[in-house]
Amino acid sequence: MATATEVLRPVTTREDKWRPSTKGWVARRAVLLLILGGIVFLTASVEGFWADRIARAAIFAVIGLSLNMVLGYIGQVSLGHQAFVGIAAFIAAYYATEKAGCEFEGCSMSTFITSTVFAALSGAIAAGVLGLVALRIRGLYLALITLAYGLVSQNSIFEISFLTRGGAGMPAVRPDGWVGDHAFAFLTLIFLAGVIFVDWSMMRSKVGRAILSVKHSEPVAASYGINVTGYKIIAFVLSGLFAGVAGSLLAFRNQNVVANDFSFVETLTWVLMVVVGGLGNRVGVIIGSAFFAMFGFILEPVLHWLGGLWGPLHFLEEAGAQAYVVIIVGAALAIFTIIEYPGGIGQQVSPITRWLGGQRFSMHPDGHGKHQTQASEASKTGVMGRLGLQRSGSTDEVTEASDETAPTSVMERATVMEQATASPPPPPAPAVHPDDEPVAHASGSADDPPGKPDPVPEVGGTDEGPASRKRGFLGKLGLQKNGAAQQEEKTR
Amino acid sequence: MTSVLKVEGTGIRFGGLVALEDVSVSVPEWEIVGLIGPNGAGKTTLFNCITGLYTPNTGTVYHRDRDISPLPTHRRTALGIGRTFQNIGLVRGLTVLENCLVAQHPRIGYGALSGIFGGPRSFVEERKLRAYAMEVLDFFDLTSLADSSLDGLPYGTLKLIEIATVLATDPDLVLLDEPTSGMGPDEAHRLGEQLLELRKTLNLTMLMIEHHVPVVVDVCDYVYCLNFGRVLTEGKPTDVRNHPEVVAAYLGDEAVEGEDLSDEEHIAEHEEAEADVVP
Repeated sequence: MATATEVLRPVTTREDKWRPSTKGWVARRAVLLLILGGIVFLTASVEGFWADRIARAAIFAVIGLSLNMVLGYIGQVSLGHQAFVGIAAFIAAYYATEKAGCEFEGCSMSTFITSTVFAALSGAIAAGVLGLVALRIRGLYLALITLAYGLVSQNSIFEISFLTRGGAGMPAVRPDGWVGDHAFAFLTLIFLAGVIFVDWSMMRSKVGRAILSVKHSEPVAASYGINVTGYKIIAFVLSGLFAGVAGSLLAFRNQNVVANDFSFVETLTWVLMVVVGGLGNRVGVIIGSAFFAMFGFILEPVLHWLGGLWGPLHFLEEAGAQAYVVIIVGAALAIFTIIEYPGGIGQQVSPITRWLGGQRFSMHPDGHGKHQTQASEASKTGVMGRLGLQRSGSTDEVTEASDETAPTSVMERATVMEQATASPPPPPAPAVHPDDEPVAHASGSADDPPGKPDPVPEVGGTDEGPASRKRGFLGKLGLQKNGAAQQEEKTR
Repeated sequence: MTSVLKVEGTGIRFGGLVALEDVSVSVPEWEIVGLIGPNGAGKTTLFNCITGLYTPNTGTVYHRDRDISPLPTHRRTALGIGRTFQNIGLVRGLTVLENCLVAQHPRIGYGALSGIFGGPRSFVEERKLRAYAMEVLDFFDLTSLADSSLDGLPYGTLKLIEIATVLATDPDLVLLDEPTSGMGPDEAHRLGEQLLELRKTLNLTMLMIEHHVPVVVDVCDYVYCLNFGRVLTEGKPTDVRNHPEVVAAYLGDEAVEGEDLSDEEHIAEHEEAEADVVP
């Protein structure tokens, strides 16, 4: 009867999983390359001061991803990010200048890397301490504590005179070969790429899933076997790590680290850019961060023009007015985002990112169309069919559902089964190997006529025995499939 | 016979409220034990004490004769205690398949660092996890839903997905918190049969909180009735059902002693189903 079970397996292929053709993939890769190439070309071709601004945008993107880790992924609030970035920037500059003597002799690449590593570690430690606090306190109170944390470090650590050279600022000489604005912009872009990779890699792995489930509900996460405490700290430490990298880059970009660069206004801008970009959305956060980094510069001529227009508006021309205008406009944008588009920029560009990721181009994520209703209908009746426990009355229901979906009904499966038994006897296989099957069927098209049994039984039946079973559930599963088939046969 | 789970003298109080007092429950291997009782009797609190979400003031919890009282929740899950929640305990932001992947967390064969920095091992292991998750989903005929989000799925399907994810944690003991809540008598009965089938095929031991009396009678081998944080009575389901104190707890003291709570409609259905299976 094992053969019948094997024939029955095609019942559940992932029918509504759509994959692009080769051509489609080529087009997607081409567009992706075009975007990346565009960024590189832009960086290489613009004037020096614009390259410097691109470097700033890239650093902001790293900071955005850092803040997104806390705000978006683990769902905690941090208003003290200027502390992590600032501490890291001072440490990087301190190491490069005071320890490695870069100020007069120039800075080697290895010194730059070492100081960045130190900066990243110090950021991670600073954030890890905050993470320990976040284990006990959350919500508004955590926000207040992070705020205090940031302000206190701003007024204590950033006032230490051997770090700030008595307020004059700690110089940080760019590494040899990367001194020019263009070269340094490329260096920051490379670091941004690295941070994006780590972010992506984390979110695709068990760590990202664990962090998202901790955000959703801690009891549920714990009952899935996730160490809630551990992953909260991991999220904070990673956030600090990214912030540290950004701090080091910022130090070398500014070439002189002063405490004023890390004021609370900066943190506000960063929080706003993450919210406008879209919490938890990597692409959105990067775009939002880059926008906020550039926004001030775009605003500059506008403010100048406005300030010259009318006497009382003169203050707009003053230095520093820019930062406040950015905050005000940013806050307005954030409110607009929260009310109208909670997904932020990320949600607006999601059709494009989904398309690049290998889905159909549509304004709505997959699984919200007619596919879903069909599929859930099948699932409602499916288990009973699988377990061979159909009761009278529900059979009609199943047949109805299966008119439009895969052959789920008992009737259709029976046809399959009869044909299978009528065909030349395949070798008896005591156990179904559960591992290979889904792979084999995933490739088969969804609308395989039910009358044509999959060739798997003839090929795969021979070399599999009980020994090939895997751990716990899988082995039991193999038994179950046979049991269900036998029972179903009995029902006939 | 060893018990998979033994709770001894558990008591917990929240401020002045005594939620549980001296509750002792034992779940032998391969049995489905029911936990019934009116609202607020402390059933879910007992679950939280067993899984470690609450720390009881008194008493110990043994899993296969091992004292697991000092262990945190995630370690208990790793030992094989799976649990569902009264209001669906799934991660909303993730797809059905991803929920099954999360549930396999304690068994994942790579470290957190390897995952964060993209170690090659993590990619290989992820593929295995995916295959295994699909296997579990396939068992419940949910493969077609693998990539869809949880929003908009019918309640019954969500309950089923939750049971699937709990099985993905590879438990030997499953705690089910009202698996049939929100289901009609028909669906509830069907789920009861599925549970029996699961027990048979996967060698599971279960402790379930249940309100549908017919399901309890059909499925459970043994029943504990809680009331006001104490074990009111225990025994075979049919005995407990007709126990005067249980009836009083559910219906109030005025109720007629020994009243049969099962509905005839259900019995008729059950017979019909049996007639259908045997040709």
